[in-house]
Amino acid sequence: MYGMIHRAMRQMVQEELGEEAWLALEQKLDIGPTELLTGMVYDDALTLEIVAEAAARFNLSVDQTLEAFGQYWVRFAGQGSLSSIMKFTGQNLASFITNLDRLHLAVGSAMPGARLPTFSTLENAPGHLVVEYRSDRVGMEPFVKGLLQGLMDRFDACGEIAVVHRGEKTILFDIRYQDKG
Amino acid sequence: MLLSFSEKQIGALLPAFLHIDKQLNISAMGPGILRHLPHVRMGMPCAEAFDIVNYDTAQFFQEGANVQPVSLIARDSDVHLSGAAIFHDAGCLLAVRFAITEDMFADSSMDLSDFGHADPVILSTMLIVLQRAMLEESQANAIELAHERQRSADLLERTSRVAGYMAHDFNNLLSVIRLNTDRLSRQFGKDEKIGKLAEIIQEMAARGSEITQSLMTLSLQRTDTRQPLAVDQVIQDNMGVLDSVVGSNITLKLNLDADGRKSVVSYSDFLNALINLLLNAREAMPMGGQIALSTSIGVGRSNSHADGDADTDMAASGSYIAIQIADTGIGMSDALLARAFEPQFSSKPNGTGLGLASVRNFAAEMGGDVWLESVEGMGTTAYLHLPVARTVAPLVAAGSSPPNAGTPNALGKQRILLVEDEPYALEALVEMLEAEGYAVTACTSGEEALLALGQNAYDVLLTDVLMPGQNGTEVARDACIVQPSIKVILMSGYVPDSAALQPGWLFLHKPMESAKLLQLISG
Ligand code: HEM
Repeated sequence: MYGMIHRAMRQMVQEELGEEAWLALEQKLDIGPTELLTGMVYDDALTLEIVAEAAARFNLSVDQTLEAFGQYWVRFAGQGSLSSIMKFTGQNLASFITNLDRLHLAVGSAMPGARLPTFSTLENAPGHLVVEYRSDRVGMEPFVKGLLQGLMDRFDACGEIAVVHRGEKTILFDIRYQDKG
Repeated sequence: MLLSFSEKQIGALLPAFLHIDKQLNISAMGPGILRHLPHVRMGMPCAEAFDIVNYDTAQFFQEGANVQPVSLIARDSDVHLSGAAIFHDAGCLLAVRFAITEDMFADSSMDLSDFGHADPVILSTMLIVLQRAMLEESQANAIELAHERQRSADLLERTSRVAGYMAHDFNNLLSVIRLNTDRLSRQFGKDEKIGKLAEIIQEMAARGSEITQSLMTLSLQRTDTRQPLAVDQVIQDNMGVLDSVVGSNITLKLNLDADGRKSVVSYSDFLNALINLLLNAREAMPMGGQIALSTSIGVGRSNSHADGDADTDMAASGSYIAIQIADTGIGMSDALLARAFEPQFSSKPNGTGLGLASVRNFAAEMGGDVWLESVEGMGTTAYLHLPVARTVAPLVAAGSSPPNAGTPNALGKQRILLVEDEPYALEALVEMLEAEGYAVTACTSGEEALLALGQNAYDVLLTDVLMPGQNGTEVARDACIVQPSIKVILMSGYVPDSAALQPGWLFLHKPMESAKLLQLISG
């Protein structure tokens, strides 16, 4: 995956476990700044190695870590120079998810070689969404679940995310939510 | 009709569209208008909700035909819309979009849903925002990489320094072993068995010394020695190298007339300086030619600068060895000559500009000077002047008859002030030097040596460099002030920074051989 993702992972480890923990992880995997170049495409295997090594330090499973990272990514992108584009993508949960593909379309033009997923909103009713996630990657279900949870957090919503179907390349998420307060 | 779309479909393509009927009332609108301009209602006269830029609304719709560009500003808000007005039988479709700038991305209440999928402005604005974010991160990447490089360089520097210190300490130990083994051979070497054992120890110490040498080379420490070298001899010994430096289409003519005189230099630095000057001459003659390399002895001031620079003014009144390298090349203009020794300055396409600058450093460190003289079209001559090493009165061998009157010691023995903080080395050196007929005053620290200098005159100061308290170069500097004629020999396991060495000081690399030391003392 793109180095941008590695940098977000680093920031998550640093924020939760401290600078030293990240340095120890770098040392363990024998990586450094050259594996954290924003615009560089790295093999998914490296990305997963980083996630697995972080998982060991968080005392979580890899899936739990992926989920936590998904949630974190929404916060990460919501800060700094990506914040405006996140805001522009949608100002409530339903419109954000509906517009995710358009966001990733722009990402695809800015970051050639990115293998980006597709999200289709199959049902969009107040407090209820059915979203189909489609990707040629496998094993991303916990990551997507974390991302969707992150989006609920972003829009101050609470609710349940359930997987209702797993296809070869698709996963169907059922989201029932209500706005807090 | 070829195509027909529902309002919903048009709204998906153009979320901010409007339809104006023949009565100039709003008859349809996209979801974007509903969301962001709630005061606009169906059936409302268009002119009540919008101004058309540069037109009277009624006039625009009445005169319009086919497709025309249009810009609208919503009344009661500063929302701008722009696009095309498409006229048809039932009225006019305003195929417009919200005008949005990049700043509005962050603080407008609009989002992607308010713009059509194929909206090129939105796509390119998103691209710009993404690229800017990536650029910002890339700058952070570059800084991280630079820090990483610095960290590696620091680590290398530290490791190399530690390796240097270790080599230095080890050299000191080897020095003690070598000196004391020499002592052993001298005293008991007649016993064949002891002589053999001493030889083995000597050989092993020599091998150990080779290892420390490699360690020092690896850790980029200098390992050379500054000693009096006969300039003509060095040139003659290296004719093979020098010939290949000038290349086959240039003849190198020698005229060596320095009369076997010596200058205190580091062998490799001197050779490098010669090579650099020859390369410079060679590059001035791409079509071939002749280089005359000559040496001679001069007396008095070297005359590089008519206005005389006190710092580089070589051994003000002493004699010097003049080395001249004259080519028959293209010569240099005054402007080039003036800048020729500047670091990083080169008139050649592939030149680094470091060659002549390093020659100038070398000459200055040795207390000499270098300069160029040139006539355009005729050739350039490089002058390298090095001070002639002071000759010291020959030593008196133990037991021989009293020598020169000028020596400070009444018995005619040469006096050596020996400073060494390592007691076993000191002991061995004292014994060896005394056995050779020198009068030795032994000190274990720089402070002790300075006291001794205040009390007696010495011919030679032989001092270790790294010592606690006053170090060897400081002692040597003070000694030269108090007793300007003293001959300085520094000995150390590592080469001190050239800046700390004064021209004319001799330097001996530890672990040293007794014979080499005696040779330096006697000059
Ligand atoms: C400004 C915000 C965002 C940017 C710049 C961005 C960019 C990216 C990039 C660079 C990748 C990696 C592709 C690769 O290296 O092959 C990626 C993957 C992904 N993104 Fe986004 N993304 C953003 C927001 C989101 C959000 C909010 C979601 C929420 C659902 C999301 C869902 C995903 C998923 C699930 C993947 C994994 C790819 C896969 O499953 O094959 N992204 N994104």
